[in-house]
Amino acid sequence: MPQSSGTTPTPQINMALLKAAIKLNTLLLASVSGLLGGLLLFTITFLSLNKGMPYPGHYLNLLGVFLPGYNVSPAGAWIGLFWGAVVGALIGALFYRIYARTIETQVSNYLRQGRSSKDLMTSVMKIDGNSLGLALGAIVAIGLLISTNWLVFRGTANESFNAALFSNYLPGYSVSTAGSFVGAIEIFIIVYLLCLLFGWVYNKIAVLRGGDPQ
Amino acid sequence: MKTNMDADKAVLMAAFAKFDVVALAIALGAVLATSLFLATIFLVLKGADPGTDVGNHLRLIGVYLPGYSVSWSGALIGAAYALGLGAVMGFILGVLWNMTHYIYVALIVIRTTWVNLMAD
Repeated sequence: MPQSSGTTPTPQINMALLKAAIKLNTLLLASVSGLLGGLLLFTITFLSLNKGMPYPGHYLNLLGVFLPGYNVSPAGAWIGLFWGAVVGALIGALFYRIYARTIETQVSNYLRQGRSSKDLMTSVMKIDGNSLGLALGAIVAIGLLISTNWLVFRGTANESFNAALFSNYLPGYSVSTAGSFVGAIEIFIIVYLLCLLFGWVYNKIAVLRGGDPQ
Repeated sequence: MKTNMDADKAVLMAAFAKFDVVALAIALGAVLATSLFLATIFLVLKGADPGTDVGNHLRLIGVYLPGYSVSWSGALIGAAYALGLGAVMGFILGVLWNMTHYIYVALIVIRTTWVNLMAD
């Protein structure tokens, strides 16, 4: 098998092809996560409705603060399906756009290694926990920033007792602009660490199962 | 020596690499289980404010996960649920991701075949 050496020039990456591939995957992940997001909120809403509680969706109704028209009712479930799909698709697209920044590096690394083209037919995705953590951590942190400041902007910060409960896990967080920044940093770190764990477990199992994550 | 054709293949490999569905299911399950376990235990160890119960709000997860409570045993039960739910979510995500790529490639092949047939 031909091996690349330090003196062998690395072939140029076709950036147009790379951008097209990233665009395609962004669209596909947005579709998949939009579908999952919509179905998840739809299912949770109906589950809450059918639990037979005196006040169905007492807390789930709070999502209506961020998703106009949503409430725990049969009609609200359909609105939730729509909003879940929109939010899921946006998160999926944003996530992949951030994560894809590492693909060029992954391709460059592959090209520096002496692998045969047969690898291409059996390639299993490798999850880069660091990139995943940066992408997902940023999305969650931005989400907390936006949602907290939305409550501040609405003038209901002092009544947002449920949002304030985040301070149980995020010391220093409060429903205020300053508190949102403290919380955003802390939640970014937590999500980043969880993503490192996720990537490590996934890659280990993929290798154990005989795959060769790329 | 690697050629530009290899570079193109590497790009396509990065774009069309499939998820290991089993690994994804286990990893997502493990992360969700760890998260719920730690979130529960954190509240148990922290304790409740005077005159209140521990985890008044977190225990509402028990509405969806029967048997779950903010306690040591509830943390284990919740972790087991989260492991199962995460595994299902990971499985669905992996299957959908792989399937959309297969469908996309199949459409390209069909379209190319059709164009070639029409050209002949």
